[in-house]
Amino acid sequence: MRTPLLIAAVLVLLAGVPPFLDLGLQNALVNVLIASLFALAFNLLVGQAGLLSFGHAAYFGVGAFATLHLMRVVEDGFGFPTPLLPLAGAACGLVVGAIAGFFATMRSGVYFALVTLAIAELFHALAPRWQGLFGGEAGLSSMRMPWQGVTFGSTLEVYYLALAWVVVSICLLWAYTRTPFGRLTLALRDNEQRVRFLGYDAHATKVIVFAISAMFSGIAGSLQAMSNEVANYSLFSSHVSAQVVLHAFVGGSTVFFGPLLGAAVFTLFAYLISDLTRSWLLYQGLIFVLVMLYAPTGIGGVVQYHARHWQRLDWSRLAGPYALGSLGGVLVAAAAVFLTETLSVLFDEPYAVARRDAGGAFPPFAAFGTGWDPLSPLTWLLPLALFGVGLYVLTRARRAIGEEWEAIRSAPTAAAAAAAAASRAGS
Amino acid sequence: MRRLTALLLASTAVAMAAPAQAEPLRIGIIESLSGSQTSTGRLYSAAVQYGVDIINAAGGFNGEPIEVIEYDNAGGSTGAADEFRQAVADGIHIVFQGASSAVAGQITEDVRRHNIRNPGDEVMYINLGAEAMSLTGDQCHFYHFRYATTAPMRVNALVNAMAAAGELGTRVFSINQNYSWGQDMQTAIEDAAAAGGYEVVEAVLHDVNSIQDFAPYVARINAADPDTVITGNWSNDLLLLMRAASEAGLDVRFGTTFLDQPGNIANAGDTAIGHYLANNYVPDAGPAEFNDAYRDAVGHYPIFVEPPTIFAVGALAEALEQVDFGGGDIDVSAIALALEAVVYESPVGPITVRAEDHQTIRPVVVSHVVRGAAYPVDDTDLGFEVVGVVSGEDAIYPVQDSCEMERPD
Repeated sequence: MRTPLLIAAVLVLLAGVPPFLDLGLQNALVNVLIASLFALAFNLLVGQAGLLSFGHAAYFGVGAFATLHLMRVVEDGFGFPTPLLPLAGAACGLVVGAIAGFFATMRSGVYFALVTLAIAELFHALAPRWQGLFGGEAGLSSMRMPWQGVTFGSTLEVYYLALAWVVVSICLLWAYTRTPFGRLTLALRDNEQRVRFLGYDAHATKVIVFAISAMFSGIAGSLQAMSNEVANYSLFSSHVSAQVVLHAFVGGSTVFFGPLLGAAVFTLFAYLISDLTRSWLLYQGLIFVLVMLYAPTGIGGVVQYHARHWQRLDWSRLAGPYALGSLGGVLVAAAAVFLTETLSVLFDEPYAVARRDAGGAFPPFAAFGTGWDPLSPLTWLLPLALFGVGLYVLTRARRAIGEEWEAIRSAPTAAAAAAAAASRAGS
Repeated sequence: MRRLTALLLASTAVAMAAPAQAEPLRIGIIESLSGSQTSTGRLYSAAVQYGVDIINAAGGFNGEPIEVIEYDNAGGSTGAADEFRQAVADGIHIVFQGASSAVAGQITEDVRRHNIRNPGDEVMYINLGAEAMSLTGDQCHFYHFRYATTAPMRVNALVNAMAAAGELGTRVFSINQNYSWGQDMQTAIEDAAAAGGYEVVEAVLHDVNSIQDFAPYVARINAADPDTVITGNWSNDLLLLMRAASEAGLDVRFGTTFLDQPGNIANAGDTAIGHYLANNYVPDAGPAEFNDAYRDAVGHYPIFVEPPTIFAVGALAEALEQVDFGGGDIDVSAIALALEAVVYESPVGPITVRAEDHQTIRPVVVSHVVRGAAYPVDDTDLGFEVVGVVSGEDAIYPVQDSCEMERPD
């Protein structure tokens, strides 16, 4: 009962809030939507079918270029409704995905990953040369045309268009997992041998899954093309492929909505942090490593774990250790941020200029809104203390949380307890 | 803190009445400031900041200091599109960018579309180093200004100065990277043959930044027996090519365009000695005051992309002197019209804007690498010594037919 209400609330928020946000944030939300759909489409392969693709940028890019070509034709007077432009990306994604998938799914595991990587690189190498189709280095460019009185000029209109497409696509992807074919996909992940013995054609099945994943990636690419109104070869770069892997795994590839969470968190993180510090990529990498080490099921996995045991969670006992754990995390993070930012100031050229002006001495430097003396032990004791205390608190909290969960897991469920009581009363 | 503040303001829906004050001119730098392409992006950023500091020290503009905001495009055109929209949300008037033609293609189209959709609220784009010909060709528009050279300008100057120094010879080998820049270079080398009095013995295009061993190409160069090899290669493609040529004992002069990228000379070492460079400026070409002023403020002599950036901001400063909004709203079209008319006296000669395509007509400096140079680079004893400064009129090429510029009324 709770889940539909939650989804409805999220949808109302997504539809109602953006008009009141500033332009930059509206655009960031468009990116969140696109990244979410891309991550979910990607996860159809890795999460459901157990096929790790390292080259999904290819289908994202194909969708973008297909849509851009259609946009250019529309710009020249071809009457195609603007809101339906992503259909071009879906169609091309499906076709290219089916062809590429036919070859890639002949192998599984590492070999599959390498073939997909090679296919994406093929596009990446081809695109800058093929002036006619991909527009060379500068790429193709077009303009969204008005349709039925809607100009599609503002970011907000693009946002609602993207929202509609993403919601419909996610519903379709969800519905897919409930079909018999979706179940077959899961079986493929768990035991391909058995699927084959049951009489199914494993290769054909994998090609279809691959093509569907590529189709939804193509829709995501289309939305990107419509949002940016430009597409160039950099869409095919391994960076795009890596980003979606990152989103899916941080979000949790074993949970349907996990990749969506990962995409949303990382896209907003990049948006908010990238202008605060030039080291934001380092922080993003650190978060990825920490999630993989300590929560391999990702954010979605952690959320799902709590949801599954929701009835038995005693928040009055859990809240304390959780708050303590968060505090420890914040302290350790503060130490890491302090060290990174301090070092980046000290090794940057402006500080070298300041040192030269000070005659080779180490003048104080400004960071976090105040001045610091690089030679004072206090400056370096601070991160050390933060780190030490944070680590101690974190270890304590982790132990406490572990004990609480042990109790939760071993406690009999309410239903089991009732049954036991009934049997006692009966005897 | 900009975005977090904006977020807080938005979430609490606080509408604050802005106190009455003049509108400051806002400049946005959309460059790669994180990731693998950072070094060039930071040079652009440092040089823009330097130029704006000079304007602000002299009183700023419109009664306010000019604001400079950095936007990190994370090296790609998708990031640039997002950052451009953020810049518009922040009220940026002028965008600076230069490190990549792909990013420039995105930004110039974004600016064009923004100006079509928002008449009266235009944004201007000053291109500091994206040299793709299409930016002043079929993508040209009134609000884009290229304050940098292009392939034909560099080649014309290189050929001119090397011939004058008796170093060019009559047989030229063209080797370039197989994408728009390399193709532009090859076309320029072929086009300049008649005027330069040479024959292009062979023209080769190769993969971009993926070749580890240039020996086969060096063998082809050897077989063609040229006097000079002209290449637009940059980064590893330039270093590995020069090294392979030197290892094979090839006795040719290289005419290059990006030999001054920081780190190149340190990497190439003695291999680089005697090779030529055509670019916007080397410190040896200008007065010591200009070089020293920059070094005192930033920490090193102006190199690579910094001088053209300083010139661009200098030209903008002169344009700003020609317009006066009396502390009121800023009209970017008026600034663009003023910039079009500016004749900026750079240390190596005047820089003007060609009205038809907004390419700058500018002097090109040709230098070669010598030991014991006046301005050594990369902590070596090597540096660039000026061979000749080719005037803008001699280096420029005709306006491309594909450029159809619509001017504001």
